[in-house]
Amino acid sequence: MRIAVRHETRYVYTTPPKSLIQILRMTPRSHEGQHILSWRIDCDADCHLKKSEDPFGNITHTLTVNRPLETLTLTVEGDVETYDTAGVVRNSVERFDPLVFLRETPLSAPSPLIRELAAANERADTIDQMHQLMVAIRGRMTFDTSSTDVHTSAGEAWELGSGVCQDYAHIFIAAARCSDVPARFVSGHFFRSDGVVDQTAGHAWAEAYIDKLGWVGFDPANGVCLLENHIRIACGLDYLYAAPVRGARMAGSGESMSVNVSVGQTSMQMQT
Amino acid sequence: MLARSAENLFWVARYIERADFSARMIDAALRLATLPKAYGGDGNEWVSPLAAVGNLDLFRKVHDKQDQNTVFNFLAFDRENPSSIRNCIANARRAARAVRTALTLEMWESINAAWLELSRIESERDPKNPMSREEVDRFLDFVKAISRDFDGAAYRTMLRDDAYWFNRIGLYAERADNTARILDVKYHLLLPQSEEIGGTLDYFQWTAILRSVSALTAYHWVYRESVKPWLVMDLLVQRSEMPRSLVSCYENIARYLDLIGQHYGQQGPSQRLARSVHATLVNSSREEIFQRGLHEFVTDFISSNNRLSGMLAEQYFPS
Repeated sequence: MRIAVRHETRYVYTTPPKSLIQILRMTPRSHEGQHILSWRIDCDADCHLKKSEDPFGNITHTLTVNRPLETLTLTVEGDVETYDTAGVVRNSVERFDPLVFLRETPLSAPSPLIRELAAANERADTIDQMHQLMVAIRGRMTFDTSSTDVHTSAGEAWELGSGVCQDYAHIFIAAARCSDVPARFVSGHFFRSDGVVDQTAGHAWAEAYIDKLGWVGFDPANGVCLLENHIRIACGLDYLYAAPVRGARMAGSGESMSVNVSVGQTSMQMQT
Repeated sequence: MLARSAENLFWVARYIERADFSARMIDAALRLATLPKAYGGDGNEWVSPLAAVGNLDLFRKVHDKQDQNTVFNFLAFDRENPSSIRNCIANARRAARAVRTALTLEMWESINAAWLELSRIESERDPKNPMSREEVDRFLDFVKAISRDFDGAAYRTMLRDDAYWFNRIGLYAERADNTARILDVKYHLLLPQSEEIGGTLDYFQWTAILRSVSALTAYHWVYRESVKPWLVMDLLVQRSEMPRSLVSCYENIARYLDLIGQHYGQQGPSQRLARSVHATLVNSSREEIFQRGLHEFVTDFISSNNRLSGMLAEQYFPS
């Protein structure tokens, strides 16, 4: 499937900040099942954009602006060709042993209720267990963009019973790690098969490490494994490690941010 | 475009690149042969170019001694050797004639002039009487200039359409194969078992080889230190800024195949394979490559690269 992504982030400040620094994890890498045809980051102000790599192998760009500005628009555009790999991510950059992904973080720490969830879905076969877990999470949670924010932990979201894709992923990761299955957070984009192109945010899901198979993507918010609809951008221990933008600014106030994502299919192609 | 034209365009570039590589390998052997014996070389430098261009077996069937003159004649002029420089240029010219209208005038003239000059050298040469070192150098420079002339003509004058893309894919597929062979021959043949990797002989051999593939200055620009085998690996395998590296070749192959796919609105196994090879090269770490063993890594790569040619033939050049 050939997917075209356009991800626009616009900041408006009532009092312009003196300077601003951001780390962008917005650039995907090619691996089996995903091939980047073209990709670029565009910024509408004069800025420094320095490319490097974080410890997990994600491509990062450090954006610095050293002058006051009232608005800032970041546009990320690209074309990606994807294939179905039955959910398995092969040939990706792996900088660490999978066991590193058993590590707990504040956002993905298991609450007693999540431990119960993990215990209730134990299966002899890890892959079955992960599927079961995904179904259980999706069964209880309702998708609601207003009940949680970026600071909501897995435990809080599970107790609320509602949240966004990122909360679903945190709960999945926390529960998988309870059963000693290495799991990690993945951010990216999702092409919706129902034809809705414009979205207000990127997407997030989880990956679990299964012996003999490797990393397998589970998307609890959609209740599916990794499909050709997913574009995988960054991964990490939790949201904070894989967030598209993290930043700080000096002075300034009244920041408002709007995000516009469009994920559509480019001209149809025949696969032979 | 006709399948036959696509195939010929692919092979024109491939043969020219192969001739260039043979010339560079002869050059490398000449340099290696001048290393003092005290460094511990076991005198098989004239086997190395044969192995690098992949016709050692054929050579051994016909000749029983590997000295400079026999190897040079075999690699440069022998009509029985399908990839001798003489045959590469002849084949390139034959393929070019078949797609004459798809080539620009400059491209055709570069190949035709090369062929005429080569025929002249061949007819004036006395096989019994070895060429002097100066004559050999002049000849090798002439061969290397052919590929520069042809490449430059293609780059500067050709329309950017499927003809250009097939032509470039031929070039990069051949170049990737050549680089992989250098790596393999270097450790499987040139360096005696008793010598340590990173030792004196290893150092001098790498310096000679890098110089003959015009990569020594590039090496110093990138690493700013003396020649170390693991850095040479890095340069020739994973550095995308190095035009001869495997990654760079596959970046180009994948890109041109993408363009072909987009142009025809159809893609298939060769696109998928090229992308997967490229992703593997980019995403594997140097440690992973060494852990798996360089020889295995290179052999796998060469076989994927051959598979790609096979898939291209099936997908685009069915006869």
